[in-house]
Amino acid sequence: MTSRDEQQDEKMNIGLSVAERELLQSRLRELKDTTPPREVWQRIEAQARAERLFQGRYFEAGKWLTGAGIAAAVVLAVLNVSAPVIEGGDEIISDTPSIAEIDNSGPTNLNALMVQSQQIERDLRALPGQPRMVRASTAATIAELEDRIAAIDYRLNHPAYRLTQIEAEIYWRERVRLMNSLLNLRRAQAQRMAF
Amino acid sequence: MSKFADIQIDPAIVKRAARGDAKAHEIIYRAFSAPVYSVCLRFTRVPAQAEDLLQDTFMEVIRSVPKFRGEAPLGMWIRRIAISKALMFLRSAWHSRGQSLDDEWEEMTFESRGLPLNSARQDQAMDLEVALANLPEVSRTVVWLHDVEGFTHKEIADFMGKTESFSKSQLSRAYQRLRPMLDAEIERVEPKSDMQGSVLGSC
Repeated sequence: MTSRDEQQDEKMNIGLSVAERELLQSRLRELKDTTPPREVWQRIEAQARAERLFQGRYFEAGKWLTGAGIAAAVVLAVLNVSAPVIEGGDEIISDTPSIAEIDNSGPTNLNALMVQSQQIERDLRALPGQPRMVRASTAATIAELEDRIAAIDYRLNHPAYRLTQIEAEIYWRERVRLMNSLLNLRRAQAQRMAF
Repeated sequence: MSKFADIQIDPAIVKRAARGDAKAHEIIYRAFSAPVYSVCLRFTRVPAQAEDLLQDTFMEVIRSVPKFRGEAPLGMWIRRIAISKALMFLRSAWHSRGQSLDDEWEEMTFESRGLPLNSARQDQAMDLEVALANLPEVSRTVVWLHDVEGFTHKEIADFMGKTESFSKSQLSRAYQRLRPMLDAEIERVEPKSDMQGSVLGSC
């Protein structure tokens, strides 16, 4: 196909006059960009640091020690509410914390996110079990969500990841968001089962 | 020309970023976050999804910038990553689930962005934002890739794993839906007789 043919083809297909098309293109290019929320960079930074993609600055001894107190407190609080409980030799996987169990001396946002997370888990447990026939795409999505939640839980619980208060909050917020997605998906499944 | 091409980053900053300098990465992010987020938001219309895509894009930038050779401008390289991520997302099962799950997303999104569906139009930019947002997802994406980012139908087809004809027909459908708004604006600016000479393509 020659370039002239291509131009002709283009004209035949676009369905707009030259004036309309020029107007559209110029208007589209004039549209303003939208600034993303500030916390997106914090999430990126936290993830990059967790994956050790940034060198130096953060892991300099001084700064590391400065943040260690807060990080340790957060890690302890998280471990306190999420670690498996050993009773009489039987390992019992603990539920998410009740409101009373959450350390109220910690940051309010973090506590609120933990409570939210716990509420979503309760809602999830209240739903009927998964149907025997599940669409492949739905199963894949559920598995992806669960994997991502598990990855976050690993980060939150593993002592090697000394999270700062901000990082812990970011992970908890992400956990709540993913749990919400999972809940919506499971609810939709339950509705389909009902019909 | 795409906005991505207009943003210049000092090569020294890119080198620092390649060495894992967090500050350099933050500078790159500050420069490109708005265009990346805007593209993702235009494709998905859902702010939370656009935020995730923005995060995924810049994680990819952080991981891959040591391999960036500078043969193309940094902005164009970032744009390609962002568009690939956004299109991959649109094709994913996850997104399909979201669409079928939440039919109310459209109105929720409009409300959250302050774009009323049926209220009086504020200005031309708002008109176009609304008209664009009302297009089907794929058509809207094709319009943006073709008319703003300057991709050819072949490139769009490659991006989407479809044929060139598919890209052309999506563009044509989008234009049909945008035409009334464009005609109204042209009529405001030009006398009607000027329009009669123009060539209208068939679909």
